[in-house]
Amino acid sequence: MAENEDLGDAKRRNFLIKATAAVGMAGAVAACLPFIDSMNPSADVLAKATTEVDLSGIPVGGVHTVAWQGKPIFIFHRTPEEIKAMQATNGIIDPEPDQKRVKQAEWLVVIGICTHMGCVPNKDAAGWLCPCHGSEYDDSGRVVRGPAPKNLYLPPYKFVAADKIVIGVA
Amino acid sequence: MKKFIVLLILCCASVQVWAAEATLQNIKVDTDLPAIESGLDVFMNTCHACHTLKYITYLDLVKLGVDKTKVDGMRGDQPLDTSLVGLMPDAAAEQMFGKVPPDLSLMTHAREGGPSYVYSYLLGYYNTPDGVTHNRIFPATHMPDPLGMSTATDPAQQAKIRKTAHDVVSFLAWAADPHKQERHRLGYYVIGYLAFLTLLLYIVKKQVWSRLK
Amino acid sequence: MKNRVIDWIDQRFPLSSFVKHDLTEYPTPRNLSYWWNFGFLAGFLLVLQVATGIFLAMHYKAGADLSFDSVQHIMRDVNYGWLLRFMHATGASAFFLVIYIHMARTLYYGSYRAPRELMWWTGQGLLIMLMATAFMGYLLPWGQMSYWGATVITNLFKVTPYFGEQIVTWLRGDYTVSDATLTRFFALHYLIPFLIIGGVLVHLVALHTVKSSNPSGIDLAAKENIPFHPYFTTKDLFGLGVFLIVFSIFVFFFPNMLMDPANFIPANPMQTPAEIVPEWYFLPFYAILRSVPNMVGGVVAMGLSVMMFAFMPLLDRSRIPGGASNRPMVKLGFYLFLLNMLALGYVGAHPVSAQTLLIGHIATIFYFGSFFLIPFISKAEERWLIKRGLPPALTALMEREARDRGNKQARRRSGDDK
Repeated sequence: MAENEDLGDAKRRNFLIKATAAVGMAGAVAACLPFIDSMNPSADVLAKATTEVDLSGIPVGGVHTVAWQGKPIFIFHRTPEEIKAMQATNGIIDPEPDQKRVKQAEWLVVIGICTHMGCVPNKDAAGWLCPCHGSEYDDSGRVVRGPAPKNLYLPPYKFVAADKIVIGVA
Repeated sequence: MKKFIVLLILCCASVQVWAAEATLQNIKVDTDLPAIESGLDVFMNTCHACHTLKYITYLDLVKLGVDKTKVDGMRGDQPLDTSLVGLMPDAAAEQMFGKVPPDLSLMTHAREGGPSYVYSYLLGYYNTPDGVTHNRIFPATHMPDPLGMSTATDPAQQAKIRKTAHDVVSFLAWAADPHKQERHRLGYYVIGYLAFLTLLLYIVKKQVWSRLK
Repeated sequence: MKNRVIDWIDQRFPLSSFVKHDLTEYPTPRNLSYWWNFGFLAGFLLVLQVATGIFLAMHYKAGADLSFDSVQHIMRDVNYGWLLRFMHATGASAFFLVIYIHMARTLYYGSYRAPRELMWWTGQGLLIMLMATAFMGYLLPWGQMSYWGATVITNLFKVTPYFGEQIVTWLRGDYTVSDATLTRFFALHYLIPFLIIGGVLVHLVALHTVKSSNPSGIDLAAKENIPFHPYFTTKDLFGLGVFLIVFSIFVFFFPNMLMDPANFIPANPMQTPAEIVPEWYFLPFYAILRSVPNMVGGVVAMGLSVMMFAFMPLLDRSRIPGGASNRPMVKLGFYLFLLNMLALGYVGAHPVSAQTLLIGHIATIFYFGSFFLIPFISKAEERWLIKRGLPPALTALMEREARDRGNKQARRRSGDDK
């Protein structure tokens, strides 16, 4: 009888110790989380992760360059003619339909960094021209003349109002 | 003779301090959003003209819960993560008041008495018969009476000013410690957990030691 | 699988034997009270301070124009930055509280006496390193109290003969406390805790050589020892739980209680705050500094007041073993000394006035006086206790110790040195 009691006691004691250890371990792990999270981007860095742009100031046919996460973003307010011309072709070097590159046809939003060596292209009549090695892009940001291999990259962005976009969130 | 004059001046100065030294009105800061937002309005309309709030950005106001369109109206074309710098340049302020108005981000912590000090200070303005305005709490202040307590005679008006002061102090208390609510919330969970764990540890300790003959 | 890995290691490194000998099976007196928990708590706090400190250092910027803002950046923008900062600041105060209690336990129970003198002296070294770390850490937020506290204390080195002024300038790296001082204090504040870790290891090696003292003051027979695990592991963990609850109450609900309001104002070299007050754990020594009217005397007195503790094993001349449990004078002296420390703390916290000067003078004289009187009082107490009659266990121990002493002397005289 005494042995049975001892066994029961031992089992209970073992469970108690295991339970306490589990609760303690859980707390120790939870205590590590703030330390690890403190290494994540802080609030001021996150604030720079998105940039809000008011489109109302950009006239038709005009281009605006804004900074987003340290990179230049071209925002191009395209004329109906330019839109029609861009939708007519897919581009030669890196084929991509214009419709896939815009959310609203009159607004082109691309990262203004040449996909060749990283210079910032300049706007010209037909699109953009990169001064470093002569790459040319059309009014949809698609590469039409190398040495750039790819079209200008698209940042994640979304329309939050008819004339306002937020760059940084899809 | 010189020593006597210096001593006399010191005595007068110290008497001045004692006469002005008043006890603080102890207040409890409001932590609900309407009060803090009310205080924000007071700050933007009255204090912001001279004082900076450099550690608070417009984004912090949005995170607090202030309506974004209202914040957009306040910031104009400045980016959201701009801090609330003052409208008066330092040089102009120094010329006008003799001293650069201090930043208010930590003011409710930076004085002995905390929010109660700031509250009592704002309401501590009074006029002497010669027409000069003084402050009971901080006699050496260069700041003019911001809320008009020194000229308020009507009890209803005075009550309104007291509420204004209470709201702006609540706002400044939030600005000094925006994470206070989160900290308290986390505190309850952590201490609750620790109490439970300590109880378990106590039982284990007692169990283990009971085996000792 | 685990056993095979451990066996492989054991063939190349004394892992299991070390764990057995110095941790799990380590013999500990069974009658240790909760006053013996504080060494473990101090070790825990050391780890906590280093951990929070390193993560804070990822965001802190040392520089006169950057530091204050970087601390606000930590408090407001860094995820859980406020938590790291409050844990670190509260941890510093907690560290001193735990250490002072740890020291008080040692004084009360006579744990500094032979053969534990080295434990006491290594502890003394650790205390000084802790004080230096805390002093330098306090400058880092670059608030008004940070700046002016550092100015006052670095100024004290002026009393050094011949080279005083040069030493102060050399310490600061500039003619006043400035950016140069701040950056070097940051470097040293980061370094010294790792020296403390080394010192703690030495302290623990010493401990494992002489083993823990115990509340009775008499070293127990070997059969009265119990293995450290599971008895004292569970007791230490329980004590840690209680400590963490109190610690968390401060961190989460009263984090600013020990922060001087002046430190919420960025340092202004052109304006001194109304009162310069150090953190609470320095107050008694600050009071002693201000109690001596002469500057050199004040600095010497302050330095001596910290170092006086080191002399305890040499001052205590009594042959009665143990501490306050068998020695009424030790007990009385201890409590009076404690009260005196509180009085000194009060004096240190308040601006100089006629009253505080008077209390300060009396308390400083009592402070040093109690140390200087220990040799005489301890001998007188011994005579009185022997006359009164001692419990048999004590008399037996004293006779054994006298015999050992005699044997050692005889061996030395006959040249038989082993």
